[in-house]
Amino acid sequence: MKSRAELLQTFQQLATRVAERPIELTSEAMAISALGIDSLGMLEIIGEMERELSIRIPDDQLVGINTVGQLVDLVERRLGAG
Amino acid sequence: MAVERDTRLAQKVYQQYLTFFDKAERERRWHPIHDIPWEKINRELPEALVLNAETFCCVESYLPDYVAGGINVVRKSFGQAWFSANWGYEESKHSIALMEYLMRSGRRSPEHMFDLQAQLMEKEWRLPFTTARQMTVYGCFQEQATFVIYCRQEAAASQAGDEALRTIFRLNARDEIAHARFYEDVIKLLLEEDREATVLDIAWVAKHFEMPGVGIVPDYESRVQVMRDVGHIDRDLFLQKVYFPVLKYLGVTREELVAAAGQLRKMASASANGAPVNPATV
Repeated sequence: MKSRAELLQTFQQLATRVAERPIELTSEAMAISALGIDSLGMLEIIGEMERELSIRIPDDQLVGINTVGQLVDLVERRLGAG
Repeated sequence: MAVERDTRLAQKVYQQYLTFFDKAERERRWHPIHDIPWEKINRELPEALVLNAETFCCVESYLPDYVAGGINVVRKSFGQAWFSANWGYEESKHSIALMEYLMRSGRRSPEHMFDLQAQLMEKEWRLPFTTARQMTVYGCFQEQATFVIYCRQEAAASQAGDEALRTIFRLNARDEIAHARFYEDVIKLLLEEDREATVLDIAWVAKHFEMPGVGIVPDYESRVQVMRDVGHIDRDLFLQKVYFPVLKYLGVTREELVAAAGQLRKMASASANGAPVNPATV
């Protein structure tokens, strides 16, 4: 299972690809929208993480995800559940 | 062959319109003067709710532009063109009811309302998308979002004890969700015809979606902030009540949409200047 640091790195790589510019993560508390990633972009990142990590996040659990840390928390929970 | 396919699709869309129209005539007709309990206006309603009613009235006031632009883009589809005409009639009642509320409540003078109307018409709403399919997708998201926002305002008006405003928001919301359903049913037909291109259009519209008042209604940002505060409207609500329900109804998965978004990005990367490429132009 990937460590939290590895998950953050995965997020950063995917965010860079979706935003089409380098994304620098200075804090887990950063809002995803503040990185210039819109709702569809966030779904893209989540979709890629699901594929890469072989997990499935139900739609209703995507509600309330605002920060990078919250998203990584969710991914960790799903990895643990799997 | 292509013409034949188009006319078969037009027949199916016409059937959808007949279903929509039949239901509207039988169950959903209402009168903006006689069906609102005007005697139950709360004259002490908080200004934020009055401002929200005015903001909706502003957005609904661009009806001439919505109708002119919207009907021309679908004029070759009998069902969609006739829907647009009917849509214009139903939407016209929304602005009348809101305008009457603002004046009858005494919270806005007729002079203020007509000055505002004149100010609004200084700007023109332009079609955000140029093809019938993309405008159908846009209409679907926009009507569903407006439905959700009206419902939130209805709850706020109810809580504030204004039965007249509550009724207006309820009737408007009921029309909006009926419009959203029609658009969804048409998109289902479009998916049957060409799933890949339609999903690509859904991704394109989702990426470039903006509500119609942006950039044309005076003080729009500050007005929307008040609306968000009153109705607790945020991105989560959009995902939960607009985006996911629409995709679910259409039978389009998140994976399909993500793949389409990836394809749009590839198309942009391959273009000469790296700018987004509207799939309708390819």
